[in-house]
Amino acid sequence: MNSLFDKFAEAAEKRDSLSQLGTNPTQVVMERAIDATTAQINGKPTILAGTNNYLGLTFEPECIDAAKHALTQSGTGTTGSRMANGNYADHVLLEQEIAEFYGYPQAMLFSTGYGANLGTLAALVGPGDVVMLDADAHASLYDGCKLSGADIYRFKHSDPDSLDKRLRRLGDRASSALVAIEGLYSILGDYPKLSEFCDVCEKYGAMLLVDEAHSLGTMGEHGRGLSEAEGVLNRVDFIVGTFSKSLGATGGYCVSRHEELSLFRYTSRPFIFTASPCPSVVASTRAALKLLREQPERRERLWTIATRLYNGLSDLGLTLGPQISPVVAVRCHSAEYAMSVWQRLLAEGVYTNLIVPPASPDGSSLIRCSLSAAHTDEQVEQIIAAVGVATAGQNAT
Amino acid sequence: MSDNTSSTSPISVHSALETILRGFLTDDAQTLNQTTLINSLGLESVVVLEFVTDVEDHFDINIDLDSLANIQTLNDLAEAVIAQGVE
Repeated sequence: MNSLFDKFAEAAEKRDSLSQLGTNPTQVVMERAIDATTAQINGKPTILAGTNNYLGLTFEPECIDAAKHALTQSGTGTTGSRMANGNYADHVLLEQEIAEFYGYPQAMLFSTGYGANLGTLAALVGPGDVVMLDADAHASLYDGCKLSGADIYRFKHSDPDSLDKRLRRLGDRASSALVAIEGLYSILGDYPKLSEFCDVCEKYGAMLLVDEAHSLGTMGEHGRGLSEAEGVLNRVDFIVGTFSKSLGATGGYCVSRHEELSLFRYTSRPFIFTASPCPSVVASTRAALKLLREQPERRERLWTIATRLYNGLSDLGLTLGPQISPVVAVRCHSAEYAMSVWQRLLAEGVYTNLIVPPASPDGSSLIRCSLSAAHTDEQVEQIIAAVGVATAGQNAT
Repeated sequence: MSDNTSSTSPISVHSALETILRGFLTDDAQTLNQTTLINSLGLESVVVLEFVTDVEDHFDINIDLDSLANIQTLNDLAEAVIAQGVE
């Protein structure tokens, strides 16, 4: 007799094999967060080199004070959606501040970054429309497309020519297509030539959505992301991002130069049917956004240590992602080897991300590190030394 | 239709698919036929999608992800290619 649970056999097998490592990578418990770059894991202080806390703002006094004040003034939660329960003033203010930050007329908040992609795509495209997705696009972009009911086509990762071919094949449908890419790809830390994607989209009249989840705060002169770094803020149609990385909170947003974004509030089911962000989260996000704008030195610091980490790991003879960025990925020759390296790094007091198929973008196994502006030089050297120990005597690739 | 498939027929579609697929296989001696299950070849899912991308470019067609979900064998893929007007 079949059971609904039969489909979990493969997951159970995977869980059991991960558990044999000692510490299951999916079940790591941070017993205590010590500061932006350190937590107690398995009873000892551990350097966090895999938490996407790019600007190191999670313990910033201004953000904590803002959150505390909002808790006292507005309570712990909103207990429902904005459409049903109403808007808190801080929801509206944060939307205004995000829009102003980009120089766009409209912004829209979502309760998570995942929800931002889901909600934007499900509102913007629908059955009969076309979405062209980068092959390495995040699961939230895929899921948003599936929720929308649009026809989904993939093009080769960060390859404008591959996109061009597929838009050409669409014929007249190309002018109502949406192209979705990312500003900084989260696993390998690579980024596309965005202006070339703008050229292709404009050639066919397609719209361009850029997910700047990992590039908000990390790229661009003012931290607006790759769209700013490449000078194409006036050519991109929609930017989606998250508050859960550089801004150290949770939540997401969509901004656009198109006034029609305001209509998404009436059609986006992930927006309409989700409880709105709680007041303390919105307050700390507003404070963090202010710091992002006022303290470009955090971004400069981030890239300085990212360069040091990339070069330090490269000097160990390791094969890394293709570009220097705050995400540095070490390629491993097998999933088993990657698991052993990850385990050894944790024993050495460094927490990283284990990426194995099918989660990896090109089928490879990786140790992924992400840096924070709050990491000290000493911590960066400790990370390099720990990777050296964990990979000693073996060629990772 | 692309320049390199100017005289395609159902047979040549099958032949082209096999040729493209062999570029992704590590075992040259792997037996392939029309009923070969693509997911039985030990390829990672991302590699299967790379294979499909190359198929699209070879025949100058687009195959949407929903259609891909129903493709299990090389014959299924050939039918999807032919359904796009490739002869």
